[in-house]
Amino acid sequence: MILAAYDLWAFVSENHEELREGLVNTLKVSAFGIAGAFVIGVVLGAARAHRIPVVSQFTAVYVELIRNTPILVQIFMIFYALPQFGIVFNQFTVAWLAVMIWGGAFNSENFRAGFEAVPYRYREAGYALGFGRLATFLNVTLPIGGRIALPSSINTYISVLKNTSLMYVIGYAELTTTALNISNLTLQTTEALTVLAIVYLTLVWSLSALIRLLESRLALPEAR
Amino acid sequence: MSALFRRRWRFFVAVLLALPLAVLGVFVWRSIQNSDWAEPVWDYILTEGLPGTLKVSAAAVVGSALIGVVFGTLMTIKLLPLQALIRLYIEVFRGLPILVTVFIVYFGLPSVNRGLEFGALTAASIALILWGSAQVAEATRGAVQSIPHEQHEAASALGFGWVGRHRFVILPQSLRRLLPPFVSLLVNIVQNSTLAQVIGGLEVLEAAERQNERIAAIPPIGLGEIHAFEIFGGVLVLFFLISFPLTRLAAYLEKRLV
Repeated sequence: MILAAYDLWAFVSENHEELREGLVNTLKVSAFGIAGAFVIGVVLGAARAHRIPVVSQFTAVYVELIRNTPILVQIFMIFYALPQFGIVFNQFTVAWLAVMIWGGAFNSENFRAGFEAVPYRYREAGYALGFGRLATFLNVTLPIGGRIALPSSINTYISVLKNTSLMYVIGYAELTTTALNISNLTLQTTEALTVLAIVYLTLVWSLSALIRLLESRLALPEAR
Repeated sequence: MSALFRRRWRFFVAVLLALPLAVLGVFVWRSIQNSDWAEPVWDYILTEGLPGTLKVSAAAVVGSALIGVVFGTLMTIKLLPLQALIRLYIEVFRGLPILVTVFIVYFGLPSVNRGLEFGALTAASIALILWGSAQVAEATRGAVQSIPHEQHEAASALGFGWVGRHRFVILPQSLRRLLPPFVSLLVNIVQNSTLAQVIGGLEVLEAAERQNERIAAIPPIGLGEIHAFEIFGGVLVLFFLISFPLTRLAAYLEKRLV
């Protein structure tokens, strides 16, 4: 038998440098993806909620296309199909681009719902005070609608974080790829999977806890 | 905003939505018509790959629904250890990336016990059931708790025990409310069945990937041509054609039933 006895501590202390690097890469890709998804979500969500002619229809198409196809196929499209037209990205770019495009689609739906939930009379009040359309959006719709959309958008960010594990298929050295590669060398499969599960659950659970915290902190005054 | 304008706007969106897909579809279709590489590729994807996807999806949906409804109903019993146990199950399998669950089932279980070795498609189905049943359990708990307390009391007054009360009175009512989440779950499971590709299970994406590699190989073996865009674009269209009607159905049911 080559199978060694289960020793989680030995696995972590022998490979902590690679694992830490993998975790940093996961967090880096997630941060890029989440930041991009936030910007895409606010801009396109606002465009849809305010029915801005061309952008709004484009957003509808983009959202339906992304939501109705598997993210793995989207990653394959970016990584294997685009080079056919001379568009070649490195693994890191594919990684954050894929999760950003995916998260952006879901997030623009979150923000659209949030912005549409802002009563029209609030916006009318903004216009009555002499604000232009953009100023009304920034001062009235965004602060109120953004707070309404916050919990669901954090759920999308959690999914973005979880989806970075799919970068295993393009061989980008994030946490899942790193742990699996180590276990292929040392046959410590059980330990590697335990580490993966613990790290992902810690990240996801702390983000969910953050939702609950923010929900109570940022709740609209009348909803409190 | 007038109703007429809204209807026109929706029509406009529908046309715009159809347009890029139609272009992609025509592109793929023409590549099938005008070339000799395409026919065996699509033949393989549709006859070898599609059944795999459908098998995994069917098993995962049925398994998730059964286990999820039972767990969700059990969670409404006020018994702390039971509630804590199911809550842990839900939080763990909803919190893990599904890919990690797939690896745990496919690589982790056999390394703990040799008897727990599964084929790739079976392992993917099990992983999807673990994830899906957690989703369903959470939804079921909410749906069961949303049934008014009088229903429980009336059923008890008629002489039903706990099982009969839930089986004949509470669950039939909550299943109505569960229909939209079930359809969304089906969409998610069909899409996530592609994760079987990562461990080499033969479903649509794996079939496409194999064909892509075959025709890209150097001439005696393959054609030395790259058609990744047509092949994976076709897979994208295929999944869209499956998912889009289902997401529309889920949205419709949500509006009708709630």
